[in-house]
Amino acid sequence: MTADKRKNFWVLTVLLVFALSSSFKQKEISAQNLCTVKLIFINTIKGSRVVFNDSSYTNPFGEKYSITKLRYYVTNVSLVNGYAGFKEENSYHLVDESRVESQTISFSIPAGDYNAVQFLLGVDSLHNVSGAQTDDLDPANDMFWTWNTGYVMAKLEGNSASSTAVNNKFEFHVGGFSGKYNVLKPVQLDFPGKTVHFIGGKTCEIVVNADINAWWQHPNDIKISEHPIITSPGQFAKLISDNYANMFRIEKITPE
Amino acid sequence: MIVIFIASSVLLLDAGKIDEKHFSIPFIPTPLQLKIPAGWPKPSANIFANNPLTEEGFQLGRKLFYDGRLSKDGNFACASCHQQFAAFATYDHDLSHGFHDQFTTRNAPPLFNLAWASRFHWDGGVNHIEVQALSPMTASNEMAENVDSVLLKLKKDTSYQRMFKAAFGSNVINSQRMLKALAQFVGSLISSNSKYDKVKRGEDKFNPTEQRGYDLFKTRCNTCHKEPLFTDFSFRNNGLTLNKFLKDSGRMRITGDPQDSLKFKVPSLRNLSVTYPYMHDGRLYSLSNVIDHYSKGIQAGATLDSSLKNGIQFTEPEKNDLIYFLHTLKDTSFLRDKRFSQP
Repeated sequence: MTADKRKNFWVLTVLLVFALSSSFKQKEISAQNLCTVKLIFINTIKGSRVVFNDSSYTNPFGEKYSITKLRYYVTNVSLVNGYAGFKEENSYHLVDESRVESQTISFSIPAGDYNAVQFLLGVDSLHNVSGAQTDDLDPANDMFWTWNTGYVMAKLEGNSASSTAVNNKFEFHVGGFSGKYNVLKPVQLDFPGKTVHFIGGKTCEIVVNADINAWWQHPNDIKISEHPIITSPGQFAKLISDNYANMFRIEKITPE
Repeated sequence: MIVIFIASSVLLLDAGKIDEKHFSIPFIPTPLQLKIPAGWPKPSANIFANNPLTEEGFQLGRKLFYDGRLSKDGNFACASCHQQFAAFATYDHDLSHGFHDQFTTRNAPPLFNLAWASRFHWDGGVNHIEVQALSPMTASNEMAENVDSVLLKLKKDTSYQRMFKAAFGSNVINSQRMLKALAQFVGSLISSNSKYDKVKRGEDKFNPTEQRGYDLFKTRCNTCHKEPLFTDFSFRNNGLTLNKFLKDSGRMRITGDPQDSLKFKVPSLRNLSVTYPYMHDGRLYSLSNVIDHYSKGIQAGATLDSSLKNGIQFTEPEKNDLIYFLHTLKDTSFLRDKRFSQP
């Protein structure tokens, strides 16, 4: 080797070692700096977990009812601290009471302080106008209107003696992503009283309680006897969405 | 040179990664270019934005389009109501037939030049070509099937396994891929080779009758049936009475807005020699009937299109000239194009 070549060799070797070590270092740092978040949705009525076909439920108007189907879309999830925050990538989740695994949303965030969780209740308008989607947005999930394109953002079905519909059914398929009857609801749930520090390398659970009885009232009265079937976008879908936007509260955050 | 080599080997590695277990040959589909006829506007921006057009995707879509297994009883392929010789409408039917001897509720529209449309169906209820097929597939009076069941049938067929892999890089068969492939086929149906087009390109000449008809067309019809697509894609009430059986309010069914009552999409006039009967419910059987409707059949109403308040008058000779012109919109090469026929 000539002196020049030897010099080049050493320069290259040093560069290589440096590049390798720095990439390893980055990996270490990022593993330590990430925190796994489990956002868990628990659907309840009067403080107890929803049980399908339990006929003891009564809405605020004294109408007895039971539930046979309950689903809603939670999308664009992020954890925020003031104006800063971290958004989950490709964040589209169908929470389905009949599938326990659908009720936990897991993702990683950089460790640090956060004071609220935000999400959109429903599928954002872009994904209602962009053609065929897959996974939780697959039209085969039975949350998609084929004759009037758009996602059903939330579904509640059941039976009630107060319903005048066939077999005493009631069905709410709530959707509509544009115009004055847009039902999309941004939800922000502040962490109770304080900022929470999310520790790197740990798993943190945020348990959210969804009170299904909120669908019936505040601000709008929805009586099964008057509106047993609401299954298209419009005024009544909007009224229900104004109600269910308020159904969530944070039950606990662990570890704390 | 070296850079090119490295870049191409990275590409190959990446393609191989898509399905390492089942796939050793790199996934390289053949790109297709949508041929935009000279002088036509740009197609809808979102038509193939997330669905790159390829020969393999097109051929898969073509097979799906002609496959009865997309329906519950196997009898109703897309092509059963959308027949190529009728420009992909149902020939000589006001309403089409679906599952269990049921009628559809509207006249099957012809399928061509859909790459320029941004809303589908007579009422514009479908907002993207990829999700259109879900509607007839799941309607109980049409194909009456559900998506999961269709996919199960496709997954059992080794030729579909092969074709999905060729089109999308792995043999995953899901609704998104099925719908994107169908959109590639249907979105590629371009009709632009009628006598009218040849005249416009300087390859042919109208005879005097056709020319008089074209001159009439340009002054009395061109507002809604705008060249070169022969539609402006708007929704209008063209003065038809409400059918008492179908009670179809058209666009209002989608928007809920009374201003949209009895409005339907302005259809293209291309290939209309083979798409009769006409109108959203196929109530008019001949071009002569259609012109008579505009001359003396317009029903007044709150949402009637302002351009039709006094109807559109034609003398008998003018009517004859116009019909001769309209027949120049028939595109025989499209009706017989083997690329679009049953594979």
